[in-house]
Amino acid sequence: MLLDLSEEHREHLAFLPQVDSAVVAEFGRIAVEFLRRGSNAKIYEGAARKLNVSSDTVQHGVEGLTYLLTESSKLMISELDFQDSVFVLGFSEELNKLLLQLYLDNRKEIRTILNELAPDLPTYHSLEWRLDVQLASRSLRQQIKPTVTFKLHLNHNGEHNTKVLQTDPATLLHLVQQLEQALEEMKTNHCRRVVRNIK
Amino acid sequence: MELSESVQRGFQTLADPGSFDSNAFALLLRAAFQSLLDAQADEAVLDHPDLKHIDPVVLKCCHAAAATYILEAGKHRADKSTLSTYLEDCKFDRERIELFCTEYQNNKNSLESLLESIGKSLPHITDVSWRLEYQIKTNQLHKMYRPAYLVTLNVENTDSQSYPEISFSCNMEQLQDLVGKLKDASKSLERATQL
Repeated sequence: MLLDLSEEHREHLAFLPQVDSAVVAEFGRIAVEFLRRGSNAKIYEGAARKLNVSSDTVQHGVEGLTYLLTESSKLMISELDFQDSVFVLGFSEELNKLLLQLYLDNRKEIRTILNELAPDLPTYHSLEWRLDVQLASRSLRQQIKPTVTFKLHLNHNGEHNTKVLQTDPATLLHLVQQLEQALEEMKTNHCRRVVRNIK
Repeated sequence: MELSESVQRGFQTLADPGSFDSNAFALLLRAAFQSLLDAQADEAVLDHPDLKHIDPVVLKCCHAAAATYILEAGKHRADKSTLSTYLEDCKFDRERIELFCTEYQNNKNSLESLLESIGKSLPHITDVSWRLEYQIKTNQLHKMYRPAYLVTLNVENTDSQSYPEISFSCNMEQLQDLVGKLKDASKSLERATQL
């Protein structure tokens, strides 16, 4: 599958052959950093001054590169397809190789970042547990009531939530049994066939 | 057990065969247990024809006294001798003491269950459901091809009677971690019960 690069996108990227490979590599680094942490306009100004071009040109170049990398990572295109897509830009052999390397080196991380944009449910982080025995309450003395108390740690949209919950021994065993069945399910023929055939 | 004056007075009236004959006593006793333990009991529990001849105010006082005493006894897990001693002090005859102790014994388990369930506790997990899915793509990321679990814990809140659910997603490793920790807790529980 080839990437479809628009006119505007190609114009932005046209800046890249006009500078050294070292600069392109630096732009690549900035692009990934911006994906991790958000963009920072001051970087554009600094680079613009050093290269003696307008800040806009630098920004477009970096953004063009960013889009190239994210689209390729999103579609998980092969090396060959990436090379063919970039070929239409008419860059030098050296620049093409550099861009390919940039893609391959950063693909995994970019995909992890893109994954965070999906509709999100709270995700499991960890579980703490504690065994308690209730001995008495205001309404009944002389009890022996075993309880298990949990602190469930969840992550949601970057925030860390904890929920404190309790259960009795019988339900605990039931939970273990049910969730073990859930894990076993992945090992069944049905699931294995699906995993093998949908690629 | 600390019991108020009104309980004592109520019981003294109950003990008096002049105010409550044997039949009325048995009926009132049963009514007291019923109004505490029977979820469907209504206010008409004292509306029995054989109790009509007794002054309603007296009836209510005695009913309240009996119910209060039953709850206190249940709370402190009173044994037969404690019950007998107190009832003797209130001048109950042997027959009525026996009847009271028998009724108490018959209802003891329900009473203790009821008392145990009263009180605040943390949200209580009652069940779990799970769903296994195979993620293929999102609009931001194609070719994902990985399994994911969605786990929902059914939770009960004792005081608010609400049933919130806690749902979360996890991958295989995370579910294995969760199950591992739950198994640790249950093994620990097993060891503790063998001590």
